Amino acid sequence: MENILQIPIKIIKEQEMVIGPLAWDEAKKVSGLNVDQNNNSVSFSGDSKEVTNRLVAQYERIFGKASHEVCREAVKDLIAGMSPEEIPSSLR
Amino acid sequence: MATNDTPISSDEYKTVTEELYKRNLELANLYKKVDSLNHELSNLIKQRENLVHLVTHKVKGSFTRSKYIFACMLDGTFGEISSEIKKRAEQGLESDKMGIQTVDLVLNVANMQNGIIKYDMKNLDFKDIVMKLVAEKSGPAETKGLKLETQIKDGIYSVLGDAFWLKEAVANLIDNSIKYTKEGQITLTLESQNGKILLKIQDTGIGITPGDKENLFTEGGRGKDSVKINVDSTGYGLYSVKLILDAHKGRVWAESEGAGKGSQFFIELDEA
Repeated sequence: MENILQIPIKIIKEQEMVIGPLAWDEAKKVSGLNVDQNNNSVSFSGDSKEVTNRLVAQYERIFGKASHEVCREAVKDLIAGMSPEEIPSSLR
Repeated sequence: MATNDTPISSDEYKTVTEELYKRNLELANLYKKVDSLNHELSNLIKQRENLVHLVTHKVKGSFTRSKYIFACMLDGTFGEISSEIKKRAEQGLESDKMGIQTVDLVLNVANMQNGIIKYDMKNLDFKDIVMKLVAEKSGPAETKGLKLETQIKDGIYSVLGDAFWLKEAVANLIDNSIKYTKEGQITLTLESQNGKILLKIQDTGIGITPGDKENLFTEGGRGKDSVKINVDSTGYGLYSVKLILDAHKGRVWAESEGAGKGSQFFIELDEA
């Protein structure tokens, strides 16, 4: 699977550790992000980087800066192998 | 701050939500740490188990090979041997037998801890086990100049258990009493009362200090002075007895008035 598709899943699962099933509910509200919770997978409608930024912003809007850090931490290993232009700006 | 009468403002709601998130995050991080430590611990336990099995099998193999050599020397396979060599070969054979017993004990404990040992639970006569062991152990006790006595009260001694392992447990306690008693006697009392079967093994041996009593039935928990009497003490014998009794939903415990005042070991089982 492409790294960009794994990023939202990693983020949602990490948020799930902190806030429980709410993490999935909030992710489902993000426009352009199609969440399949049963199969632990997502797909994008539109620009994947922009959609990922919106997911990060969704959590931050409700739970504050700490949640942004959790997103960054969650994908740290994943983005290490990506070129800077591939990485969504919220996670750089 | 909002009270019961005033609705919470959106700013306050946000502050509370963010604060709760931070607390949850701390908990999640702690959970991750505990989870990772648990993982490390189970890996270490697994490594230790593998090491115990590897070492014990290797050591047992070495003991078995040299035992075979000593046995061959003694049965004449290698031809006539002098009395001095015969004496040494007998000592070697005895030492190897003890070594194998120790290795078996450590292996048995490891297998009991891992649940590898499957107990063959059947209705059996506990008195029969005790009587057979008394007959077996009278010789070694007499060799040390100790009297081995039994007092068996009338009653039903039927228990649900594995004959092999219950015999191992009782044998271990009798052997212990023989090892740690220089002079005097060992008395086995067996009684059945109120649905419980109680075996008491009383000796006039080195006794147990209150400090030693706490660790007696724990892994490696031999008494402080036990190695002075028995250099081969492993600290696994009484622990194995406890594991066997636990598997039989029974109890084992010890009482003593202190060092030099003898010991009493008890085994309690439910009547079947």
